Amino acid sequence: MSNHTILTIGAFILLTSILLGFYQLLGSTGDDISNAQDLILATTIATSYIELAQGLAFDEFTDTTSAAIGNPSALTPAYKLGSDTGEDSLALFNDFDDLNGLVIEKLATGANKRFTTAFTVCYVDPENVDVPVTSQTFLKRLDLKTWRSFPPLSRSGSLDTLRLSIGLGYFHFD
Amino acid sequence: MQYILDYVAAAILGAALLLIILNANDTSAESHSLYNGDALVQEILVQTVFLLEGELRNMGVGVPENQGCILRADTSTIWFLYDIDRNAIPDTVRYYSGSVDEFAPTPNELDRPLYRKVNSEKSLVVGSVTIFRFRYLTRLGQALSTPVVAGQLSEIHSVEITMEVQNPYAMSRSEKQVGAGERNALYSSSIWQQTRLASQNNRR
Repeated sequence: MSNHTILTIGAFILLTSILLGFYQLLGSTGDDISNAQDLILATTIATSYIELAQGLAFDEFTDTTSAAIGNPSALTPAYKLGSDTGEDSLALFNDFDDLNGLVIEKLATGANKRFTTAFTVCYVDPENVDVPVTSQTFLKRLDLKTWRSFPPLSRSGSLDTLRLSIGLGYFHFD
Repeated sequence: MQYILDYVAAAILGAALLLIILNANDTSAESHSLYNGDALVQEILVQTVFLLEGELRNMGVGVPENQGCILRADTSTIWFLYDIDRNAIPDTVRYYSGSVDEFAPTPNELDRPLYRKVNSEKSLVVGSVTIFRFRYLTRLGQALSTPVVAGQLSEIHSVEITMEVQNPYAMSRSEKQVGAGERNALYSSSIWQQTRLASQNNRR
């Protein structure tokens, strides 16, 4: 084999590796665009749930009474946060903490993709909303995690999880 | 003889390289158009939704409690009240989609303008959509039939929006690439799916 042939094969190998990098870059750009669309869908789903949560009463107790509460100990204990008896669907939820522990899968309209959302509700310290507390306070925080559950993640890909939190405080008009 | 073989081998490899580069160039151009279109469409969608969502959230602001804030509710149009300039006089805001004929000059045959109209002012185009649909839900999650009759407007607890934006300009395909029932061009598309806007001010 002459030097010319070796040189040509070397150039071929070099170009092939450049092309591989090029196609890899194209593929990753496509993944980024697709992930952005997934995150748009995840945002719409998560914000829909947030809207729903904001329309609920602060607590089971405040849903059934119009009297002002001066002491947070009258509220649902932290270990009992969750849906109440007979409340087995979103339409039947009447207070904010009914969402605690709920996991819902939803089909995105216009796309054959499913998104799962997990909810956690806790009492937080009104002085520092980042700190969950085990006793009742006048402030609850809802944490949502939404991710694409179908189609499943390819072996080499990565999947983003959207995390959102909102706080709901108790208030009363005399 | 060796030289001839070298030349032949180099010519074959050179031709192969040329073909690969030409193919890569085509793929690059196609992908660039597609990704650019996708990114553009996502940006347009988010901006349009940002405006719409913000206004729907303000629905009912400055409206007397004994007065309903949704005046008319139909599949592709909504009229509602809120005091935009805080002058104690509620303004009427209307969002509606136009017809596809209005965007006839664009290659996309499905796109149509999205209008915003305040009181009797001239309608403004605030976006371009291919799907713009409202669904009106009661507190129990039941969908009201559209157009919602006047007596049921106060039952609207949440509004569900479905909006799709497509690129007005597409990447054309050759006849061979177009399958049965497919469009002759690839349009980037992005959908804002079922956002429920339960207006805080509407729940009184």
